[in-house]
Amino acid sequence: MKERGASEPEGGDKWEVQLRKGCLELAILAALWDGKLYGLEILRRLESDSHLVVSEGTVYPLLSRLKSLGLVKSEWVESDSGHPRKYYALTPAGRQRGREMAAIWTRFSGSMSRLLAPLAKGK
Amino acid sequence: MTMPGDAQQRMESYLGQLRRGLRGMHEEDARDIVEELRSHIAERAAASGPLTAAGVERALAGLGPPEELAGQYITDSLLARAETSRSPLRILQSLFRWASWSVAGFFVLLGSLLGYFLGVVFILVAALKPFHPESAGLWVFPDGANDFEISLRLGFGTPPANGRELLGWWVIPVGFAVGCWLVILTTRLALWCARRYRKSRALPGSS
Repeated sequence: MKERGASEPEGGDKWEVQLRKGCLELAILAALWDGKLYGLEILRRLESDSHLVVSEGTVYPLLSRLKSLGLVKSEWVESDSGHPRKYYALTPAGRQRGREMAAIWTRFSGSMSRLLAPLAKGK
Repeated sequence: MTMPGDAQQRMESYLGQLRRGLRGMHEEDARDIVEELRSHIAERAAASGPLTAAGVERALAGLGPPEELAGQYITDSLLARAETSRSPLRILQSLFRWASWSVAGFFVLLGSLLGYFLGVVFILVAALKPFHPESAGLWVFPDGANDFEISLRLGFGTPPANGRELLGWWVIPVGFAVGCWLVILTTRLALWCARRYRKSRALPGSS
């Protein structure tokens, strides 16, 4: 039996990790919004567009879970690189879920930004 | 692009460990996962130049230990299964896999076995009461001056001489109700633990 040995970050870092973790599902649905992508492309998209530095060992099981929940579908496509790639695309239920989560996010982040405005000004 | 022998060997060893960790999942799903990760490792390893053993090692480090990766898939599969079927047998099957590599899974399995066992005993007592009306039921036995012991008896053997039965025929509805409640509660608790565990392990930025 084996547990992950790395200690979790403390204080603010831990809070940031929890925050990022909570956003991951929405970030994946958003990355797939414009069309199908395979696992590595999703990872790169998350890193480049959202600065979400994500463990590869986290994203693949999450994709598998989103698929079992019917939010994404997958298909194998042959590639020039010599090995087939598994592409993911949003299902209608995944689009619906993405819209709902985005609306919640926008509402929440808007109200938090108003609340945090004095902190940003340094008063 | 061909892979050097040592790199290929290292990748196959990792995928073999992952594959063993995924036992208990549907065969087709497990094969799909292994093939997807094979494709990922090959592409990740070749991202910065020619395929080398060091490149494969970096790709594997990004994925983390194979037992943990399999564990994430297993707990996800456990939760996904539970959303379609709440069969205690299927849940126990997944818990055995989880317990084989995780201390948390081991304790959840122990607790679940205890909960299901107690639930089944209550249901059995209720079911056997009509066949052993004299001895099946909930019994209380004096144990010393001020102490007593409560025991659930299935009714096999001779009725105890110094004990007193508590519920009589009421043990049938009470046994069925408590037994079913225990089975449902155990299932919910096991799934709650799996959900908590999955959330705590999904750590972004640990690559």
